Amino acid sequence: MAHLSDGTLRRMFDDPDALTGSDRRHYVDCAGCQARYSGMADDARAVATLLAAPELRLDVASALKRVEAAPAAKPRFGFSLPILSPASRPMFAGLAAAAVLVALVVTAFAEILPLFQPKTVEPVPVTVADLESLSALSDYGTLTWTEKPTPQIVLSAADAQNVAAGMHAPAVTYLPSTVSSTVTYAAMPKAEAVFTFDAAKAADAAAKTGKPLPTLPAGIDGAKLTVKVGPAIIEVFGNLKQSSSANASSNDINLPQLVIARSSAPVVSSTQVSAQELENYILSLPGISPGLASAVRAIKDPSTTLLVPVPVEYASSSKVKVKGVDGVALGDNTGLGAAVIWINGDVFVVAGSVSQIDVLKIAEGLTV
Amino acid sequence: MKSRDEAFEALFKSEYARVAGIANRVLADSHEAEDVAQEVFINFHRLHSANAQFAPAWLHRAAAHTALNRLRGRRRREKRELAQAPGEAERTVDPQRMLEVNEDRRLVRAALARLAPKPAAVLVLRASGLSYAEVGQALGVGTGQIGTMLRRAEAALRKEVTRGTSL
Repeated sequence: MAHLSDGTLRRMFDDPDALTGSDRRHYVDCAGCQARYSGMADDARAVATLLAAPELRLDVASALKRVEAAPAAKPRFGFSLPILSPASRPMFAGLAAAAVLVALVVTAFAEILPLFQPKTVEPVPVTVADLESLSALSDYGTLTWTEKPTPQIVLSAADAQNVAAGMHAPAVTYLPSTVSSTVTYAAMPKAEAVFTFDAAKAADAAAKTGKPLPTLPAGIDGAKLTVKVGPAIIEVFGNLKQSSSANASSNDINLPQLVIARSSAPVVSSTQVSAQELENYILSLPGISPGLASAVRAIKDPSTTLLVPVPVEYASSSKVKVKGVDGVALGDNTGLGAAVIWINGDVFVVAGSVSQIDVLKIAEGLTV
Repeated sequence: MKSRDEAFEALFKSEYARVAGIANRVLADSHEAEDVAQEVFINFHRLHSANAQFAPAWLHRAAAHTALNRLRGRRRREKRELAQAPGEAERTVDPQRMLEVNEDRRLVRAALARLAPKPAAVLVLRASGLSYAEVGQALGVGTGQIGTMLRRAEAALRKEVTRGTSL
Protein backbone atom coordinates (compact mmCIF):
# COMPACT_ATOMS: atom_id res chain seq x y z
CA MET A 1 0.00 0.00 0.00
CA ALA A 2 1.18 3.51 -0.76
CA HIS A 3 2.27 5.71 2.11
CA LEU A 4 -0.31 7.97 3.73
CA SER A 5 -0.56 11.42 2.18
CA ASP A 6 0.50 14.56 4.01
CA GLY A 7 -3.14 15.63 4.15
CA THR A 8 -4.22 12.35 5.75
CA LEU A 9 -1.46 12.50 8.35
CA ARG A 10 -2.21 16.12 9.17
CA ARG A 11 -5.88 15.37 9.56
CA MET A 12 -4.98 12.49 11.85
CA PHE A 13 -3.32 14.99 14.19
CA ASP A 14 -6.62 16.87 14.57
CA ASP A 15 -8.88 13.85 14.43
CA PRO A 16 -7.28 10.44 15.06
CA ASP A 17 -10.62 8.76 14.27
CA ALA A 18 -10.59 10.14 10.72
CA LEU A 19 -8.23 7.35 9.52
CA THR A 20 -9.79 4.49 7.61
CA GLY A 21 -9.10 0.95 8.75
CA SER A 22 -6.58 0.26 6.00
CA ASP A 23 -4.80 3.59 6.61
CA ARG A 24 -4.55 2.76 10.29
CA ARG A 25 -3.09 -0.68 9.61
CA HIS A 26 -0.52 0.84 7.25
CA TYR A 27 0.41 3.52 9.77
CA VAL A 28 0.98 1.03 12.57
CA ASP A 29 3.45 -0.93 10.44
CA CYS A 30 5.15 1.98 8.65
CA ALA A 31 8.07 3.67 10.40
CA GLY A 32 8.32 6.20 7.54
CA CYS A 33 4.74 7.43 7.97
CA GLN A 34 5.19 7.53 11.74
CA ALA A 35 8.29 9.70 11.35
CA ARG A 36 6.49 12.05 8.95
CA TYR A 37 3.56 12.27 11.35
CA SER A 38 5.89 13.15 14.17
CA GLY A 39 7.36 16.04 12.17
CA MET A 40 3.92 17.31 11.18
CA ALA A 41 2.60 17.09 14.71
CA ASP A 42 5.60 19.06 15.88
CA ASP A 43 4.88 21.79 13.31
CA ALA A 44 1.18 21.80 14.15
CA ARG A 45 1.81 22.21 17.89
CA ALA A 46 4.42 24.90 17.27
CA VAL A 47 2.08 26.88 15.00
CA ALA A 48 -0.77 26.63 17.50
CA THR A 49 1.53 28.23 20.06
CA LEU A 50 2.82 30.83 17.62
CA LEU A 51 -0.71 31.90 16.67
CA ALA A 52 -1.89 32.39 20.23
CA ALA A 53 -3.76 35.69 20.43
CA PRO A 54 -4.67 38.11 23.21
CA GLU A 55 -7.99 37.52 24.89
CA LEU A 56 -11.07 39.10 23.31
CA ARG A 57 -13.67 40.71 25.53
CA LEU A 58 -16.66 41.39 23.32
CA ASP A 59 -19.80 43.42 23.87
CA VAL A 60 -21.92 41.93 21.11
CA ALA A 61 -24.98 44.09 21.75
CA SER A 62 -23.00 47.34 21.45
CA ALA A 63 -21.20 46.07 18.38
CA LEU A 64 -24.54 45.25 16.74
CA LYS A 65 -25.78 48.78 17.42
CA ARG A 66 -22.69 50.27 15.83
CA VAL A 67 -23.04 48.09 12.74
CA GLU A 68 -26.74 48.88 12.38
CA ALA A 69 -26.02 52.58 12.73
CA ALA A 70 -23.38 52.52 9.99
CA PRO A 71 -24.33 54.84 7.13
CA ALA A 72 -25.11 53.26 3.80
CA ALA A 73 -22.10 54.94 2.25
CA LYS A 74 -19.57 53.40 -0.04
CA PRO A 75 -17.80 50.69 1.93
CA ARG A 76 -14.05 50.87 2.35
CA PHE A 77 -13.25 47.68 0.51
CA GLY A 78 -16.62 46.28 -0.37
CA PHE A 79 -16.63 44.55 -3.66
CA SER A 80 -18.26 41.26 -4.34
CA LEU A 81 -17.99 39.68 -7.70
CA PRO A 82 -21.33 38.42 -8.92
CA ILE A 83 -19.78 35.05 -9.75
CA LEU A 84 -18.79 34.50 -6.17
CA SER A 85 -22.10 34.05 -4.45
CA PRO A 86 -25.55 32.86 -5.40
CA ALA A 87 -27.17 35.84 -3.69
CA SER A 88 -25.36 38.17 -6.04
CA ARG A 89 -26.94 36.66 -9.11
CA PRO A 90 -29.77 39.19 -9.25
CA MET A 91 -27.12 41.87 -9.33
CA PHE A 92 -25.28 40.02 -12.08
CA ALA A 93 -28.54 39.79 -14.02
CA GLY A 94 -28.94 43.50 -13.45
CA LEU A 95 -25.45 44.16 -14.72
CA ALA A 96 -26.08 42.03 -17.77
CA ALA A 97 -29.32 43.83 -18.44
CA ALA A 98 -27.57 47.12 -17.96
CA ALA A 99 -24.88 46.14 -20.40
CA VAL A 100 -27.45 45.15 -23.02
CA LEU A 101 -29.52 48.25 -22.54
CA VAL A 102 -26.55 50.54 -22.53
CA ALA A 103 -25.39 48.84 -25.71
CA LEU A 104 -28.79 49.46 -27.22
CA VAL A 105 -28.79 53.02 -26.03
CA VAL A 106 -25.60 53.90 -27.77
CA THR A 107 -26.31 52.17 -31.05
CA ALA A 108 -28.51 52.45 -34.06
CA PHE A 109 -28.22 54.44 -37.22
CA ALA A 110 -30.48 54.47 -40.23
CA GLU A 111 -30.03 51.60 -42.68
CA ILE A 112 -28.90 48.14 -41.73
CA LEU A 113 -25.31 48.71 -40.85
CA PRO A 114 -23.19 47.49 -38.01
CA LEU A 115 -23.75 50.37 -35.62
CA PHE A 116 -22.05 49.15 -32.56
CA GLN A 117 -18.74 47.34 -32.77
CA PRO A 118 -16.88 48.18 -29.61
CA LYS A 119 -13.15 48.62 -29.84
CA THR A 120 -12.56 49.95 -26.35
CA VAL A 121 -14.11 49.94 -22.90
CA GLU A 122 -15.25 52.68 -20.54
CA PRO A 123 -16.64 52.48 -16.99
CA VAL A 124 -20.09 53.93 -16.29
CA PRO A 125 -21.11 54.41 -12.67
CA VAL A 126 -24.53 52.92 -11.88
CA THR A 127 -26.46 52.68 -8.65
CA VAL A 128 -28.52 49.80 -7.32
CA ALA A 129 -31.59 51.85 -8.23
CA ASP A 130 -30.36 52.05 -11.82
CA LEU A 131 -29.83 48.31 -11.92
CA GLU A 132 -33.25 47.64 -10.51
CA SER A 133 -34.88 49.83 -13.13
CA LEU A 134 -32.74 48.39 -15.92
CA SER A 135 -33.37 44.79 -14.97
CA ALA A 136 -36.88 45.18 -16.35
CA LEU A 137 -35.60 45.37 -19.93
CA SER A 138 -38.66 43.47 -21.13
CA ASP A 139 -40.77 46.46 -20.06
CA TYR A 140 -39.46 48.42 -23.02
CA GLY A 141 -39.94 45.88 -25.76
CA THR A 142 -39.57 42.26 -26.74
CA LEU A 143 -36.33 40.35 -27.01
CA THR A 144 -36.49 37.39 -29.38
CA TRP A 145 -33.59 35.03 -29.96
CA THR A 146 -33.23 34.15 -33.63
CA GLU A 147 -30.21 32.00 -32.75
CA LYS A 148 -30.47 30.95 -29.14
CA PRO A 149 -27.34 30.96 -27.00
CA THR A 150 -26.29 27.35 -26.41
CA PRO A 151 -23.49 27.37 -23.88
CA GLN A 152 -21.91 23.97 -23.26
CA ILE A 153 -19.44 22.54 -20.80
CA VAL A 154 -16.66 20.84 -22.76
CA LEU A 155 -13.68 18.71 -21.79
CA SER A 156 -10.74 20.58 -23.23
CA ALA A 157 -9.50 23.80 -24.75
CA ALA A 158 -9.59 22.11 -28.16
CA ASP A 159 -13.27 21.19 -27.72
CA ALA A 160 -14.03 24.73 -26.62
CA GLN A 161 -12.31 26.01 -29.75
CA ASN A 162 -14.45 23.74 -31.94
CA VAL A 163 -17.70 24.87 -30.33
CA ALA A 164 -16.66 28.53 -30.53
CA ALA A 165 -16.13 28.49 -34.30
CA GLY A 166 -12.35 28.22 -34.09
CA MET A 167 -11.83 30.93 -31.48
CA HIS A 168 -8.56 30.25 -29.65
CA ALA A 169 -8.96 29.50 -25.93
CA PRO A 170 -6.79 31.93 -23.92
CA ALA A 171 -3.93 30.19 -22.10
CA VAL A 172 -2.54 31.43 -18.81
CA THR A 173 1.17 31.84 -18.29
CA TYR A 174 0.80 33.17 -14.74
CA LEU A 175 -1.46 31.88 -11.98
CA PRO A 176 -1.25 32.94 -8.33
CA SER A 177 -0.43 30.05 -6.00
CA THR A 178 -3.85 30.47 -4.38
CA VAL A 179 -5.68 29.58 -7.59
CA SER A 180 -6.20 25.96 -8.53
CA SER A 181 -4.90 24.94 -11.94
CA THR A 182 -7.97 22.76 -12.49
CA VAL A 183 -9.84 24.32 -15.42
CA THR A 184 -13.41 23.77 -16.57
CA TYR A 185 -14.08 24.94 -20.11
CA ALA A 186 -17.38 26.26 -21.41
CA ALA A 187 -18.02 27.52 -24.92
CA MET A 188 -20.86 29.04 -26.89
CA PRO A 189 -21.37 29.47 -30.63
CA LYS A 190 -22.63 32.78 -32.01
CA ALA A 191 -26.11 33.84 -30.89
CA GLU A 192 -28.41 36.48 -32.29
CA ALA A 193 -31.35 38.34 -30.80
CA VAL A 194 -33.76 40.95 -32.08
CA PHE A 195 -35.03 43.57 -29.69
CA THR A 196 -38.26 45.17 -30.89
CA PHE A 197 -39.05 48.44 -29.20
CA ASP A 198 -42.68 48.56 -28.02
CA ALA A 199 -44.09 51.98 -27.15
CA ALA A 200 -47.13 50.52 -25.40
CA LYS A 201 -44.98 48.43 -23.09
CA ALA A 202 -42.75 51.40 -22.37
CA ALA A 203 -45.81 53.49 -21.52
CA ASP A 204 -46.99 50.81 -19.08
CA ALA A 205 -43.54 50.70 -17.47
CA ALA A 206 -43.53 54.47 -17.14
CA ALA A 207 -47.03 54.43 -15.63
CA LYS A 208 -45.78 52.08 -12.89
CA THR A 209 -43.24 54.70 -11.86
CA GLY A 210 -46.00 57.33 -11.72
CA LYS A 211 -44.22 59.55 -14.21
CA PRO A 212 -45.38 60.41 -17.71
CA LEU A 213 -43.64 58.86 -20.75
CA PRO A 214 -41.53 61.34 -22.71
CA THR A 215 -42.69 62.14 -26.23
CA LEU A 216 -41.92 59.32 -28.64
CA PRO A 217 -39.61 60.14 -31.53
CA ALA A 218 -41.16 59.27 -34.87
CA GLY A 219 -40.60 55.67 -35.91
CA ILE A 220 -39.31 54.36 -32.62
CA ASP A 221 -42.33 52.16 -31.99
CA GLY A 222 -41.54 48.83 -33.62
CA ALA A 223 -37.90 49.72 -34.27
CA LYS A 224 -35.80 46.58 -34.40
CA LEU A 225 -32.29 46.24 -33.08
CA THR A 226 -30.36 43.11 -34.01
CA VAL A 227 -27.80 42.06 -31.44
CA LYS A 228 -25.14 39.48 -32.30
CA VAL A 229 -23.11 38.02 -29.46
CA GLY A 230 -20.43 35.36 -29.32
CA PRO A 231 -18.90 33.01 -30.06
CA ALA A 232 -17.38 32.87 -26.60
CA ILE A 233 -15.15 30.72 -24.43
CA ILE A 234 -15.17 30.71 -20.65
CA GLU A 235 -12.49 29.08 -18.49
CA VAL A 236 -13.34 28.49 -14.84
CA PHE A 237 -10.44 27.73 -12.48
CA GLY A 238 -11.10 25.80 -9.29
CA ASN A 239 -12.58 22.49 -8.26
CA LEU A 240 -16.28 22.91 -8.95
CA LYS A 241 -17.30 19.42 -7.92
CA GLN A 242 -19.69 19.10 -5.04
CA SER A 243 -18.26 17.86 -1.77
CA SER A 244 -18.61 14.12 -1.36
CA SER A 245 -18.87 14.30 2.42
CA ALA A 246 -21.84 12.68 4.08
CA ASN A 247 -23.37 15.97 5.17
CA ALA A 248 -22.91 17.70 1.82
CA SER A 249 -25.39 20.44 0.99
CA SER A 250 -25.68 23.06 -1.71
CA ASN A 251 -23.48 25.13 0.55
CA ASP A 252 -20.60 22.78 -0.20
CA ILE A 253 -20.37 23.62 -3.87
CA ASN A 254 -17.04 25.25 -4.39
CA LEU A 255 -17.06 28.69 -5.91
CA PRO A 256 -14.80 29.45 -8.84
CA GLN A 257 -11.50 31.07 -7.90
CA LEU A 258 -10.93 32.61 -11.28
CA VAL A 259 -12.87 33.06 -14.51
CA ILE A 260 -11.35 33.98 -17.85
CA ALA A 261 -13.71 34.78 -20.69
CA ARG A 262 -13.19 35.65 -24.34
CA SER A 263 -16.01 36.67 -26.64
CA SER A 264 -16.33 38.23 -30.04
CA ALA A 265 -17.32 41.84 -29.56
CA PRO A 266 -21.10 42.23 -29.76
CA VAL A 267 -22.46 43.83 -32.92
CA VAL A 268 -25.73 45.74 -33.00
CA SER A 269 -27.56 46.91 -36.09
CA SER A 270 -30.84 48.76 -36.54
CA THR A 271 -33.42 49.38 -39.21
CA GLN A 272 -35.36 52.42 -38.26
CA VAL A 273 -34.09 54.96 -35.82
CA SER A 274 -30.94 56.98 -35.40
CA ALA A 275 -28.54 56.38 -32.56
CA GLN A 276 -29.06 59.87 -31.25
CA GLU A 277 -32.86 59.55 -31.22
CA LEU A 278 -32.76 56.25 -29.43
CA GLU A 279 -30.14 57.36 -26.93
CA ASN A 280 -32.02 60.54 -26.10
CA TYR A 281 -35.31 58.73 -25.77
CA ILE A 282 -34.17 55.85 -23.56
CA LEU A 283 -32.08 58.08 -21.35
CA SER A 284 -35.11 60.29 -20.72
CA LEU A 285 -37.32 57.39 -19.59
CA PRO A 286 -38.45 57.46 -15.96
CA GLY A 287 -36.27 55.11 -13.90
CA ILE A 288 -33.05 56.07 -15.65
CA SER A 289 -31.24 58.30 -13.19
CA PRO A 290 -29.84 61.65 -14.34
CA GLY A 291 -26.41 60.46 -13.20
CA LEU A 292 -26.45 57.41 -15.46
CA ALA A 293 -27.87 59.44 -18.36
CA SER A 294 -25.15 62.07 -18.13
CA ALA A 295 -22.44 59.41 -17.78
CA VAL A 296 -23.63 57.68 -20.94
CA ARG A 297 -23.87 60.97 -22.81
CA ALA A 298 -20.33 61.83 -21.80
CA ILE A 299 -18.89 58.91 -23.77
CA LYS A 300 -17.07 60.33 -26.76
CA ASP A 301 -17.66 57.64 -29.34
CA PRO A 302 -20.53 55.45 -28.23
CA SER A 303 -20.60 53.32 -31.37
CA THR A 304 -17.15 51.89 -30.63
CA THR A 305 -17.18 51.90 -26.82
CA LEU A 306 -18.39 49.06 -24.63
CA LEU A 307 -19.70 50.51 -21.40
CA VAL A 308 -18.88 48.61 -18.22
CA PRO A 309 -21.53 49.31 -15.57
CA VAL A 310 -19.84 49.80 -12.19
CA PRO A 311 -22.13 49.65 -9.14
CA VAL A 312 -20.79 52.62 -7.24
CA GLU A 313 -21.92 51.43 -3.82
CA TYR A 314 -19.94 48.22 -4.06
CA ALA A 315 -17.09 48.52 -6.49
CA SER A 316 -14.39 50.91 -7.43
CA SER A 317 -13.10 51.06 -10.97
CA SER A 318 -9.97 52.35 -12.60
CA LYS A 319 -8.65 52.65 -16.12
CA VAL A 320 -5.70 50.39 -16.81
CA LYS A 321 -3.57 49.21 -19.72
CA VAL A 322 -3.70 45.53 -20.61
CA LYS A 323 -1.42 44.31 -23.35
CA GLY A 324 -1.10 47.89 -24.52
CA VAL A 325 -4.82 48.63 -24.85
CA ASP A 326 -7.22 50.46 -22.54
CA GLY A 327 -9.07 48.35 -20.00
CA VAL A 328 -11.29 48.82 -16.98
CA ALA A 329 -10.30 47.23 -13.65
CA LEU A 330 -12.79 46.62 -10.85
CA GLY A 331 -12.24 45.73 -7.23
CA ASP A 332 -9.21 46.14 -5.03
CA ASN A 333 -6.31 44.28 -3.49
CA THR A 334 -8.09 42.65 -0.56
CA GLY A 335 -8.20 39.35 -2.42
CA LEU A 336 -11.98 39.25 -2.07
CA GLY A 337 -12.61 40.06 -5.68
CA ALA A 338 -11.24 41.88 -8.69
CA ALA A 339 -11.83 41.93 -12.42
CA VAL A 340 -10.47 43.49 -15.57
CA ILE A 341 -12.14 43.83 -18.97
CA TRP A 342 -10.53 44.94 -22.20
CA ILE A 343 -11.04 44.71 -25.94
CA ASN A 344 -8.32 43.63 -28.28
CA GLY A 345 -10.36 42.61 -31.29
CA ASP A 346 -12.40 40.34 -29.00
CA VAL A 347 -13.72 41.20 -25.54
CA PHE A 348 -11.67 39.68 -22.70
CA VAL A 349 -12.56 39.40 -19.02
CA VAL A 350 -10.45 38.10 -16.14
CA ALA A 351 -12.25 37.99 -12.79
CA GLY A 352 -11.84 36.15 -9.54
CA SER A 353 -11.31 36.10 -5.81
CA VAL A 354 -7.78 37.39 -6.09
CA SER A 355 -6.19 40.80 -5.78
CA GLN A 356 -6.35 43.39 -8.53
CA ILE A 357 -2.58 43.12 -8.92
CA ASP A 358 -2.91 39.40 -9.62
CA VAL A 359 -5.83 39.89 -11.99
CA LEU A 360 -3.73 42.30 -14.03
CA LYS A 361 -0.73 39.95 -14.02
CA ILE A 362 -2.94 37.08 -15.19
CA ALA A 363 -4.40 39.30 -17.92
CA GLU A 364 -0.97 40.45 -19.10
CA GLY A 365 0.25 36.87 -19.20
CA LEU A 366 -2.61 35.48 -21.32
CA THR A 367 -1.66 34.05 -24.67
CA VAL A 368 -4.48 34.41 -27.13
CA MET B 1 -38.90 33.32 7.28
CA LYS B 2 -37.45 36.01 9.52
CA SER B 3 -37.52 39.63 8.47
CA ARG B 4 -34.30 41.05 7.01
CA ASP B 5 -33.44 42.84 10.27
CA GLU B 6 -34.25 39.86 12.47
CA ALA B 7 -32.24 37.54 10.28
CA PHE B 8 -29.26 39.89 10.34
CA GLU B 9 -29.43 40.25 14.12
CA ALA B 10 -29.54 36.47 14.54
CA LEU B 11 -26.60 36.04 12.17
CA PHE B 12 -24.65 38.76 13.96
CA LYS B 13 -25.21 37.22 17.38
CA SER B 14 -24.23 33.76 16.22
CA GLU B 15 -21.15 34.74 14.19
CA TYR B 16 -19.76 37.99 15.62
CA ALA B 17 -17.52 36.34 18.20
CA ARG B 18 -16.10 33.95 15.64
CA VAL B 19 -15.52 36.69 13.03
CA ALA B 20 -13.82 38.90 15.62
CA GLY B 21 -11.84 35.86 16.79
CA ILE B 22 -10.51 35.20 13.30
CA ALA B 23 -9.44 38.84 12.95
CA ASN B 24 -7.87 38.74 16.41
CA ARG B 25 -5.95 35.62 15.51
CA VAL B 26 -4.42 37.50 12.59
CA LEU B 27 -3.88 40.89 14.18
CA ALA B 28 -3.28 39.96 17.83
CA ASP B 29 -5.07 43.18 18.69
CA SER B 30 -8.56 43.03 20.15
CA HIS B 31 -9.53 46.61 19.26
CA GLU B 32 -8.45 46.31 15.66
CA ALA B 33 -10.04 42.87 15.45
CA GLU B 34 -13.39 44.35 16.45
CA ASP B 35 -12.94 47.07 13.83
CA VAL B 36 -12.42 44.42 11.19
CA ALA B 37 -15.38 42.34 12.40
CA GLN B 38 -17.69 45.33 12.21
CA GLU B 39 -16.42 46.30 8.79
CA VAL B 40 -17.02 42.76 7.58
CA PHE B 41 -20.60 42.71 8.91
CA ILE B 42 -21.37 46.14 7.48
CA ASN B 43 -20.21 45.03 4.06
CA PHE B 44 -22.10 41.77 4.29
CA HIS B 45 -25.27 43.63 5.28
CA ARG B 46 -24.96 45.89 2.25
CA LEU B 47 -24.30 43.08 -0.19
CA HIS B 48 -26.24 40.03 0.91
CA SER B 49 -29.24 38.63 2.68
CA ALA B 50 -28.59 37.25 6.15
CA ASN B 51 -30.75 34.28 5.18
CA ALA B 52 -28.20 33.24 2.56
CA GLN B 53 -26.82 29.76 3.16
CA PHE B 54 -23.31 30.91 2.44
CA ALA B 55 -23.43 33.73 5.03
CA PRO B 56 -21.10 32.17 7.67
CA ALA B 57 -18.57 31.05 5.05
CA TRP B 58 -18.60 34.52 3.47
CA LEU B 59 -18.06 36.18 6.86
CA HIS B 60 -15.19 33.87 7.84
CA ARG B 61 -13.44 34.35 4.54
CA ALA B 62 -13.90 38.11 4.59
CA ALA B 63 -12.65 38.30 8.20
CA ALA B 64 -9.47 36.42 7.32
CA HIS B 65 -8.74 38.35 4.14
CA THR B 66 -9.59 41.76 5.57
CA ALA B 67 -7.47 41.17 8.66
CA LEU B 68 -4.58 39.78 6.63
CA ASN B 69 -4.80 42.75 4.34
CA ARG B 70 -4.58 45.10 7.30
CA LEU B 71 -1.67 43.14 8.67
CA ARG B 72 0.25 43.49 5.44
CA GLY B 73 -0.43 47.19 5.24
CA ARG B 74 0.49 47.84 8.81
CA ARG B 75 3.45 50.08 9.39
CA ARG B 76 3.13 50.92 13.03
CA ARG B 77 2.66 47.42 14.27
CA GLU B 78 5.50 47.24 16.71
CA LYS B 79 4.56 50.45 18.46
CA ARG B 80 0.95 49.42 18.83
CA GLU B 81 1.78 45.97 20.13
CA LEU B 82 4.01 47.33 22.79
CA ALA B 83 1.28 49.72 23.85
CA GLN B 84 -1.51 47.18 23.75
CA ALA B 85 -2.05 43.41 23.61
CA PRO B 86 -3.20 43.01 27.17
CA GLY B 87 -3.63 39.28 26.84
CA GLU B 88 -3.48 36.23 28.97
CA ALA B 89 0.23 36.70 29.45
CA GLU B 90 -0.12 40.17 30.95
CA ARG B 91 -2.00 39.02 33.98
CA THR B 92 0.26 36.21 34.97
CA VAL B 93 3.83 37.08 34.06
CA ASP B 94 6.33 39.79 34.73
CA PRO B 95 6.96 42.82 32.45
CA GLN B 96 10.08 41.28 30.92
CA ARG B 97 8.10 38.19 29.93
CA MET B 98 5.34 40.38 28.52
CA LEU B 99 7.82 42.21 26.29
CA GLU B 100 9.05 38.87 25.04
CA VAL B 101 5.50 37.71 24.31
CA ASN B 102 4.81 40.90 22.40
CA GLU B 103 8.01 40.57 20.41
CA ASP B 104 7.15 36.97 19.58
CA ARG B 105 3.71 38.03 18.40
CA ARG B 106 5.21 40.74 16.23
CA LEU B 107 7.60 38.30 14.59
CA VAL B 108 4.87 35.71 14.03
CA ARG B 109 2.47 38.24 12.50
CA ALA B 110 5.23 39.57 10.26
CA ALA B 111 5.85 36.00 9.10
CA LEU B 112 2.11 35.43 8.58
CA ALA B 113 1.95 38.57 6.46
CA ARG B 114 4.64 37.17 4.18
CA LEU B 115 2.68 34.00 3.40
CA ALA B 116 0.43 33.81 0.32
CA PRO B 117 -3.19 34.74 1.14
CA LYS B 118 -4.68 31.26 1.03
CA PRO B 119 -2.16 29.43 3.24
CA ALA B 120 -2.33 32.31 5.71
CA ALA B 121 -6.13 32.13 5.70
CA VAL B 122 -6.12 28.35 6.22
CA LEU B 123 -3.92 28.75 9.28
CA VAL B 124 -5.92 31.48 10.96
CA LEU B 125 -9.31 29.94 10.21
CA ARG B 126 -8.28 26.58 11.60
CA ALA B 127 -6.53 28.17 14.59
CA SER B 128 -9.76 30.07 15.24
CA GLY B 129 -11.61 26.82 15.76
CA LEU B 130 -13.29 26.31 12.40
CA SER B 131 -13.78 22.70 11.36
CA TYR B 132 -12.17 21.34 8.19
CA ALA B 133 -15.55 21.60 6.45
CA GLU B 134 -16.00 25.22 7.55
CA VAL B 135 -12.50 26.17 6.44
CA GLY B 136 -13.18 24.51 3.08
CA GLN B 137 -16.43 26.38 2.62
CA ALA B 138 -14.87 29.69 3.56
CA LEU B 139 -12.04 29.28 1.06
CA GLY B 140 -13.96 27.55 -1.70
CA VAL B 141 -11.94 24.33 -1.62
CA GLY B 142 -12.92 20.75 -0.87
CA THR B 143 -12.72 19.51 2.71
CA GLY B 144 -10.32 16.79 1.55
CA GLN B 145 -7.73 19.40 0.59
CA ILE B 146 -7.61 21.12 3.96
CA GLY B 147 -5.19 18.68 5.62
CA THR B 148 -2.65 19.12 2.86
CA MET B 149 -3.08 22.89 2.82
CA LEU B 150 -2.68 23.07 6.58
CA ARG B 151 0.43 20.92 6.51
CA ARG B 152 2.09 23.08 3.88
CA ALA B 153 1.02 26.31 5.54
CA GLU B 154 2.33 25.25 8.94
CA ALA B 155 5.68 24.27 7.50
CA ALA B 156 5.81 27.55 5.59
CA LEU B 157 4.97 29.62 8.67
CA ARG B 158 7.62 27.94 10.81
CA LYS B 159 10.14 28.54 8.06
CA GLU B 160 9.16 32.21 7.80
CA VAL B 161 9.32 32.68 11.56
CA THR B 162 12.78 31.13 11.64
CA ARG B 163 13.85 33.35 8.76
CA GLY B 164 12.44 36.40 10.53
CA THR B 165 14.29 35.70 13.76
CA SER B 166 17.58 35.09 11.98
CA LEU B 167 17.47 38.37 10.07
